[in-house]
Amino acid sequence: MSFVCHITLLQHCFTKLWQSNELIDEILHHRNQMKKTYYLLFCSFNLLLLQLSAQTRVFKDTLIGSSDEVVVTANRSERKMGNVAVPTSLINKNTITKTGSLQLQNILSEQTGIVIVNSALGTSLNGYPNPFGQGVQMLGLDPAYTAILLDGEPLVGRNAGILKLGRIATGNIKQVEIVKGPSSSLYGSEAMAGVINIITEIPVKENLGLQLHQSSNNTWGGTINYANRFNKTGVQFFLNRLSSDGYDLDQNLYGKTVDPSRELNGHLKITQEISSKLQLLLSLRNYDARQDNNYQIYYQSLPAIVSGFTSEKDKSSFAQLKYNISPTSKIYFRGFYDKYSNESFVNLVKNGLRFDETSFVQSVLKPEVQYEKIRAGKSQYVAGFGANFEMIDASRYAGKQQLATGYAFTQKEWYLVQQKLTIIAGARLDKRNDFAMHVSPRVAVSYKPNSKWKFTASAGLGFKAPDFRHMYLNFNNAQIGYSLLGTSILWPELQKMQQQGLLQTGADISRFANNQELKPETSFGVHVGAKYTSNKWIAEWGIFRNDIKNLIDVYTLPFARSNGLPIYSYQNINSVFTEGAEMDLKYRFTNRWSVSGGYQFLLAKDKQVLQNIDQGLLYKRDPNTLQSSLVTRQDYFGLANRSKNTANFKVLYEDNLQRWDAYFRAVYRGQFGFMDKNGNNIIDSKDEMTAGYWMLNIAASKSFGPALRIQVGAENLLNYTNAIQLPNIPGRTYFININFNINQPTNHKSNRL
Amino acid sequence: MKNRFYVIAAVALVVFFTACSKSNTAPTVVPAYSSTQTLTVNFSTTKPFAFFAFKDSSIVVNSDSATAKWDFGLRFTNFLVNSNASGPGNAGVIMQDGVFANLNTAPSTGYAYDTTSAKLAIKDGSWYDYNVLTHSFVPKAGKVFFFKTADGAHYAKMQLLAVDYAPFTGPAPSQLLYKFQYVYQPSGSTNF
Repeated sequence: MSFVCHITLLQHCFTKLWQSNELIDEILHHRNQMKKTYYLLFCSFNLLLLQLSAQTRVFKDTLIGSSDEVVVTANRSERKMGNVAVPTSLINKNTITKTGSLQLQNILSEQTGIVIVNSALGTSLNGYPNPFGQGVQMLGLDPAYTAILLDGEPLVGRNAGILKLGRIATGNIKQVEIVKGPSSSLYGSEAMAGVINIITEIPVKENLGLQLHQSSNNTWGGTINYANRFNKTGVQFFLNRLSSDGYDLDQNLYGKTVDPSRELNGHLKITQEISSKLQLLLSLRNYDARQDNNYQIYYQSLPAIVSGFTSEKDKSSFAQLKYNISPTSKIYFRGFYDKYSNESFVNLVKNGLRFDETSFVQSVLKPEVQYEKIRAGKSQYVAGFGANFEMIDASRYAGKQQLATGYAFTQKEWYLVQQKLTIIAGARLDKRNDFAMHVSPRVAVSYKPNSKWKFTASAGLGFKAPDFRHMYLNFNNAQIGYSLLGTSILWPELQKMQQQGLLQTGADISRFANNQELKPETSFGVHVGAKYTSNKWIAEWGIFRNDIKNLIDVYTLPFARSNGLPIYSYQNINSVFTEGAEMDLKYRFTNRWSVSGGYQFLLAKDKQVLQNIDQGLLYKRDPNTLQSSLVTRQDYFGLANRSKNTANFKVLYEDNLQRWDAYFRAVYRGQFGFMDKNGNNIIDSKDEMTAGYWMLNIAASKSFGPALRIQVGAENLLNYTNAIQLPNIPGRTYFININFNINQPTNHKSNRL
Repeated sequence: MKNRFYVIAAVALVVFFTACSKSNTAPTVVPAYSSTQTLTVNFSTTKPFAFFAFKDSSIVVNSDSATAKWDFGLRFTNFLVNSNASGPGNAGVIMQDGVFANLNTAPSTGYAYDTTSAKLAIKDGSWYDYNVLTHSFVPKAGKVFFFKTADGAHYAKMQLLAVDYAPFTGPAPSQLLYKFQYVYQPSGSTNF
């Protein structure tokens, strides 16, 4: 990676660099708007109606204290939480409300085993926030390997593999379901580490909710939430506007660390019972965001200020017809369309001339059919097929590109031994037009000897198909002159370059005539867990291991351009593993007080690095003597950006009589590798690490009268900042939320952390 | 693994032969010459190379680029050795993994030359990692360069210690400072 970026970056060493240079592949779209990149939001919902209906057919939860929460992600059909055989966790509305946070990543980061990270490249952008936003690291895998779904449908518009979570409004989330471990057997590419499914509210009865939010950095938010049912029609409407002045962590650099922004989020959902057997769901979503670009560049070797803005738009629509064939079987017909665009420009302030602009448009069309069959107490079956038609058109890609994937999945779940034993077997086939059929199987077992214990084990294969950028990126750095070419366009581009005399003389390009197409990255994952519940305790333990091979990385071609500068492309190279253990404990002291704590231990290493160490091929340089010596296994910390230790601790106080609550959370992220400094490209020395840190958050709310609830809180109480390595973390912020809720629809299950 | 075996075998052979010659003719032991130098190198790939000679630790003027007075040249991160496409000399180089102090015998064969301008002895990118945070070119640890000098008759071992930017103002650096240590054997022996 490093090679690719370097030359460009040099150009702007001392400016806000990424903004004005072509960072390359990772940056696919934008040149300038790096600070920005709000990511899309989406819509759709296939799985919602599932929850409305059929609850009666869901098995009774046989685990004490698991309540009656229903999840849909783990099996693509509803199950009681306590009956799910694969590792699943749930963040409910009540928890989200009690945190008061408008940032989904903050809420996720308080979950055991979920770490919110910058992309490896992003962390390196000296003092500026990661242009790609922050993503979810699960089981030690990068954000690109977790599928993020909104109401069951995938979000598009990932940048460098990261889907920016910060732009998903939290105001209408009903619950967030997290499934850990390879889930490609149901969700295909990207679900290698797992799935996060954000499920939004469904219209149950009349409700009007208004929220006014104010927080530090002149941040203002307004939300309208309206739901109603008219006869057989349900309507849910959500509108949210958020604006902020951003913040600046380094006064010595021109411009802000995060520039001012504003965004608008709208979501309309309509349900219609056409007949007793036929139900329709329509969902429309619109996201519109704009962020200023304002920074210093060097123009004709002199400092100059540029300004402009980045606008992001995401529109999606989803339709689902559900037909109950019989009381025990049903079929869904779904159609999902999503279009994401990102346009950015900056002009030179002194003369108004356009300095740079980029554009990026991605769309996906996804028809799908799903069938479910239940044999009460004996088995459940789900199967489906569908297709993904993806299109991308970006200023850095070789023209408009299209990909089509056909897929089919099937899964059966058996209940044996008086329903104490559950066995799941499933598989999914994916055939993309440019590579061979891919099979992703998964098996899972759970055993519940009594009402207190549950033991689970699951194993599966995961995969991730090569991105558009890996295949079609066509990037020639105009200022410096190196090239980065996707594998699919490599041969024609090399021919073109040779004809135009742009390759060094004597370059032998013939071996690229049949350039090997990239293979999907694949993984094998295993998770074994145990859960204990009683009236006061919920305790969970798990151990996991993932082996990933064929990871795609950049390499240098054996010949250079005529200007002597390198040409890069992609290939499948690396093999890594991640393994670890996690634990979650919750204890309720009284009706008012409860505490919980979680811990994850993680090891994530590159297998080639370990082999090189064992063979005595890997050296390190002493920072003082500058002499080299061999690296030992003890020296090697593991892959960058992974913390061996992460933990959280929470205290919840709820007084239902006085109608107030307080929720305190502490999240610890242990030290993690940041960047090599001693000449071996691995993390093996203390000064290559970012020190561990705590985030302490607190919120308290009180209700007044029938409709008013006021909440105040503070995030990052310790005011932790790290302008260089973690510029995405603003300092301490305070907030106030004023909520009006007329005709409170449901009494959310409270009393749960 | 296989390559390593050959390297070890080659080293063993060299050691064996030199050991023999020692016992037959008592050579006059010339002490190897050790030095640590800092070479100022142009950052721009359109500016001239900096040329260096191990024999006397000298920087060779650019007008002598077409002579055998220099052993290697540097510009940006590109190395030249004085042979074939790059110059009239017979300089070659072998890059080997190991601890500098422990590698005390230069291979007698296997040197790479600047065969053509497209096929240089030292490939760009083979000896450093770019650090995006500091924008520095970090020489890979444990890389030792064995040089056969331009006269084709002497050997030197060299390792890069650091590559830094010369202080500069403005958008882009203009010069890199290459700090390296080397041992030059004036006797023509491959032992250091």
